[in-house]
Amino acid sequence: MHNINVFSFFTDPILRAPTIGCMLMCLGASLVGVLVFLKKQSLIGEVLSHAAYPGVILGTLLAGFFSIKASEEMQLALFALIGALLTSFLGLWLIHLLQRRLKVTSDAALCFVLSTFFGIGLTIASEVQFTFTTLYKQVLTYLYGQAATMTDIHIFIYGALALLLSLLILFFYKELQLTIFDAQYAKSLGLKVDVFNGLIFVLVTLAVIIGIRCVGVVLMSAMLIAPAVAARQFTERLLVMFFLAGCFGMFSGFLGVYSSVVLTEYFYLYSPQSQFNLPTGPMIVLVASFLCLLSLLFAPKRGVLIRLIRMISFRYDCIGENVLKTLWRNGATLPQSLSDLARYQASSKLYLKIVLWGLMRQKAVQKNPTGSYFLTKSGFSQAERIVRLHRLWEVYLVEYLDVGAERVHKSAEEMEHILTFELERELTLLLNDPQKDPHHQPIPPMRSLYVSSSDAS
Amino acid sequence: MAQKEKQANAFALSVHQLSVNYDKTPVLWDLSFEVPKGKLVGIIGPNGAGKSTLMKAILGLISPLSGKVEFIGEPIAKVRQKIAYVPQKESVDWQFPITVQELVIMGCYGRLGIGRRPSLLDWQAALNYLDLLGMAAYAKRQINELSGGQQQRIFIARSLMQEADVYLMDEPFAGIDKASETVIIQLLKKMRDQGKTIFVVHHDLNSVKNYFDWALILNMRLIGCGPVEHVFQNENLAKAYGKNYALFDEAFKKSEQKNAGIVC
Repeated sequence: MHNINVFSFFTDPILRAPTIGCMLMCLGASLVGVLVFLKKQSLIGEVLSHAAYPGVILGTLLAGFFSIKASEEMQLALFALIGALLTSFLGLWLIHLLQRRLKVTSDAALCFVLSTFFGIGLTIASEVQFTFTTLYKQVLTYLYGQAATMTDIHIFIYGALALLLSLLILFFYKELQLTIFDAQYAKSLGLKVDVFNGLIFVLVTLAVIIGIRCVGVVLMSAMLIAPAVAARQFTERLLVMFFLAGCFGMFSGFLGVYSSVVLTEYFYLYSPQSQFNLPTGPMIVLVASFLCLLSLLFAPKRGVLIRLIRMISFRYDCIGENVLKTLWRNGATLPQSLSDLARYQASSKLYLKIVLWGLMRQKAVQKNPTGSYFLTKSGFSQAERIVRLHRLWEVYLVEYLDVGAERVHKSAEEMEHILTFELERELTLLLNDPQKDPHHQPIPPMRSLYVSSSDAS
Repeated sequence: MAQKEKQANAFALSVHQLSVNYDKTPVLWDLSFEVPKGKLVGIIGPNGAGKSTLMKAILGLISPLSGKVEFIGEPIAKVRQKIAYVPQKESVDWQFPITVQELVIMGCYGRLGIGRRPSLLDWQAALNYLDLLGMAAYAKRQINELSGGQQQRIFIARSLMQEADVYLMDEPFAGIDKASETVIIQLLKKMRDQGKTIFVVHHDLNSVKNYFDWALILNMRLIGCGPVEHVFQNENLAKAYGKNYALFDEAFKKSEQKNAGIVC
């Protein structure tokens, strides 16, 4: 296994089953994940996977009664999966009962079912440990997942499942979208909303049951949600979101298997005694979560980073406009020193210097040999516009919203940076182009706006 | 043919002895009324009077305890495509990843049925209805970029997409700007003139006389239903909103708590 490359993961008889199997399983899980994420029921995956756990053990126990040996993997897997399916549905039904009949809130019902079922599972598991020791090892694979022992049969099972999920979602796309977005309206159109809600739950249960073989009961819900959350950061279109989530899911599946194999190999080369073995399931979940984190931080429109940059740049613009205003108010042609200007700003002198440098590059401000700053012609009309917006807003607050004249300044300080040309025009029309603000200061005329805008362009 | 005739002569909506309970507490008591076609109907009453509940009950979204509801002489299941519902705009998540036009096109999902996609003509129709409400420029925008008034407008565009005969709108004028309100009420009046019947849950008593030609005053039971100038009277309003109602309200709350086992 020394010369493993990316392609051998898809061709190597031992590697290809876990690789393709995990990718298909992740594809199914992420498609379904989009549905539950938009339905705001992200926890349902967590609950269902935990509710499946006692079923897996009971199924294995039953297999033991029928004296099926640990080597007959296919039959064993079938017993485990059917058991899982049954207890998952039981869990779903219990949640429904708690909410509808006993009026338990949804989060409490979810928590109750999750912990109860998992608790029962653990209790039985500790019993099985001693009565069916060999089978217990199989049971463990469902707790944490074990992708490495998958065979080609799994590829077909997962392939068929992923295909089924995709086709169902594609065929019922319209109905699922409407059910999740506006159930009341869907009902009024005569759509069987309960049927489609049921369908979503069945899809989730299927995805979870199949998925726990790869990543285990404990981590399964991450596989549903992480790709959906990541995809949501990049798009505002539902269809694209399905597509992206599917891609993210498959990528996580592949990279999870890849990294677990390559890193295990790597550790083995450097210290053969340690027997350090990176499990596949957790690696897949880690990759998916990491992708999700990256998307939250760096997505081009909604990411934290871009929002931080926008915030900083807005603040920078505000300070710049405030400086222009200060220069204008203290005498438009009178030069001001840096410390004069700093007295009116709540920012450090260094930051102010940077802002002034930027304003000089825009040719709004010039510096004379003594180190004082004064407005250029274009800076002057920019400053006038800001003052105009400030005073217009004050008039608006006093005349239309009945705010006391003494309390309008603060709001206007903010809005002078916000108001667009359209809003300015609307305000001007609404207020009948006033000449004085509530403090009897003159409002610079609208004409300056055109001068400054033509200067800027 | 007989059916057509029956529909032609029928009331737009007739409700017979409708009662609705939430759990064991009554919300609507024994409502019976009829509304002829071609009316713009204001459903008026104080908070908690059951106005939205009435709408949901006659649409079959919640099942009533008893009573019979007929639209155009037929039970709702038979004429669903002719009835368009506009839910409260707060009832949906506006962060949902769809565009304005995609929301409006939902209006034809009922007609299309399962497994069929809207055609190019449908998309064009959606655009036309958006245009009617002054929202054509927003067709490709995300729904999360809209203001309250704009959200309401596209909700109404979606209901127009159904090309229905009866429209049921739950508080379309709540929390929206004046301009949107004007656009909407003018459109509703035009639709009424074309023979459509429109029910509107409404809060602002000042505008009732200007907006509606039929009023339905409600406070858990029916207080009045008829032409605005007959029904929208101080006497009825006092019954719906007045102080003499406080006693009833208190007794009612007690009964609610007792039924739920909160007090003994």
